[in-house]
Amino acid sequence: MTPRRSLAILIVLAFAVAGPGPAPAAEKTLTIGLLGPLSGGAASYGVELQRGAEMRTDEINKAGGLKVGGDVYKIKLVAYDHKAQAAEAATATNKLVFQDKVKYIIGNAVGATCNAAQTITEPNKVMFSFVCWGTANLAPEKPYSFRSMLSQWELAEPFYRWVKENHPKVKRVAVISPNDTSGKDTNTAVVKALKGLAFEVTADEYYERGTKDFYPVLTKLLAQKPDMIDVAAAPAGEAGLILKQAMELGFKGAKGWTAGTNPFTIIGVAGREAAEGVWSPANINVKSEHVNSAVRKFGEAYEKRYGEVPGVIAVANFAAFDVFTQAMQRAGSVETDRVLEVLTKERFETVWGPLVIGGKETYGIDRQFLYPLVISEVREGKIVDITQVLPAALKKK
Amino acid sequence: MALGLTLIFSILDIINFAHGEFYMLGGFVTYYAFAVFGVNYFLTLVLAVLVVGGAGVLAERVVFRHLRGKTLNAFIVSLGLLWVLQASAQLSFGVLDKSVPSAVSGIVRVFGLVISRERLVVIVTASALITALYLFLKFARTGQAMRAVAQDPDAAALQGVNIEAVSALGFGVGCALAGAAGALLAPVFAVSPTMGALPVVKAFIIIIVGGMGSLPGAVLGGLLLGAVEGIGTLFMTSAAVNMLGFLVVIAILLVRPRGLLGVA
Repeated sequence: MTPRRSLAILIVLAFAVAGPGPAPAAEKTLTIGLLGPLSGGAASYGVELQRGAEMRTDEINKAGGLKVGGDVYKIKLVAYDHKAQAAEAATATNKLVFQDKVKYIIGNAVGATCNAAQTITEPNKVMFSFVCWGTANLAPEKPYSFRSMLSQWELAEPFYRWVKENHPKVKRVAVISPNDTSGKDTNTAVVKALKGLAFEVTADEYYERGTKDFYPVLTKLLAQKPDMIDVAAAPAGEAGLILKQAMELGFKGAKGWTAGTNPFTIIGVAGREAAEGVWSPANINVKSEHVNSAVRKFGEAYEKRYGEVPGVIAVANFAAFDVFTQAMQRAGSVETDRVLEVLTKERFETVWGPLVIGGKETYGIDRQFLYPLVISEVREGKIVDITQVLPAALKKK
Repeated sequence: MALGLTLIFSILDIINFAHGEFYMLGGFVTYYAFAVFGVNYFLTLVLAVLVVGGAGVLAERVVFRHLRGKTLNAFIVSLGLLWVLQASAQLSFGVLDKSVPSAVSGIVRVFGLVISRERLVVIVTASALITALYLFLKFARTGQAMRAVAQDPDAAALQGVNIEAVSALGFGVGCALAGAAGALLAPVFAVSPTMGALPVVKAFIIIIVGGMGSLPGAVLGGLLLGAVEGIGTLFMTSAAVNMLGFLVVIAILLVRPRGLLGVA
């Protein structure tokens, strides 16, 4: 064999061994929708939802995109403001589903808006995750809906069990929430937990969203001489005003915020003195030693980017984005039915730590994200974690 | 706030739906001057009155002057101005509630009633402003000119009253009153771009009950609505109390279409 012929054979062999190589992954765009009250009294919820989503979206895109099967997807986030109003939420959901053609809406808050959005997402098989607290938001006839944050139904019982064991002087509790689906549902869960634990419920009260002057309702509520006020589902701005005005009217008892999503904001509105001692089981303190390093890292990046400490909603929506995108990768598809199958069967590693989707005992279907809750207290203007407890549904898992 | 609204209506015949946004502007002047830059609280009140009053004069000169006599057009334009000012505030100040620290702290007990000193300052200052406005309209030459324009602009013009100047001043004073309300209530509540939405609805109820254009009527309407809401809350749900306010409006207008102290 001549050297030239040998060289030719080597080249042919090299090509044969190496082959043409795998086709480069096609880059596509996956549009993910987000709904939320981005303005108005509940804007703090929507802003956190959006920021949590932006953080995970940017992480994925900076890492080169989301690899699903043979494709790589750049994530495009489209957010609409529904001002915490059901009619606006229906309009925004219609835009997302029929105009932007999204198959995933990851992020929404305020119960009534969830109900409105679900009338569009469910028939169109659009995956919808939210932090809304209405019981009816999760149900067997709503298989494409998920709650990405612990709700009052997971929080109230372990929280008040802790109150009973650690603060036995608290026997009479007044509960106050906004007069809408979220508020009614939260009060229902809190009152049920209170009665189950043999507390006396002195008031099961409601106010209209946007209220600033709580003197009239507080006068009635304080006349019953409660040992504790729970500003249950009130958003930070209104919860802060209730506590501030209760203090002005002479209330010195215990304070709880079952749905309290970011105690840092309540300190800002109520002031240090009125916010002192508020217990919150729904919060997460990203600077705490009780949380894992992933949450602390997320908290640092969030604070650096937005100049504020993230509350539980930001963490929840970041985790929801993470869970859904992990499920797409495991399913090898962005088709909602294939992703749904993975979501309901597997565990996920997230900023919360190991996350399980359960809740069938309460809602009739496993669509509730379950993770450990931390009870915190406001002390001298700071959030101090007291203890970590497991929701009953997670214990069973 | 209701006084400003009714003053503007009586002089310019304008139903100003953007009045709540001037109230919001007063709140933000207080937030930035007092909470951010540490200016004395009472100086901040004066500043809020001047800034919002100035904004009112500007709005009258640029927008409403050209709509005199066109009540429906002015009504639609004021709705547009509401959205423009609210959206501008959201872009400029952010959407979240901002807390203004208390200028005076502590509570006062009067015959068993508990009230915060902060609210006492609001009540005293608001009473002083109402008295000052009354004296100004009753005795000051400019105030008398405003009343003359409110009663009959053509006759006032024939007597040498400068209608344009009086209209601008009337709109400015009306807005300044809203700004004062925003500044006074900023530490009591919190400030946000949408803070004027609910108060303006209540201000409309008050001036309709009291009689459109009647200053004493606005005071009486305010006291009546406050009493209805305060006492109603003791016996009813919050939604029912809101409904009660409108039922009172309907009842009064059925019996007395001009409102309690309104004139034909």
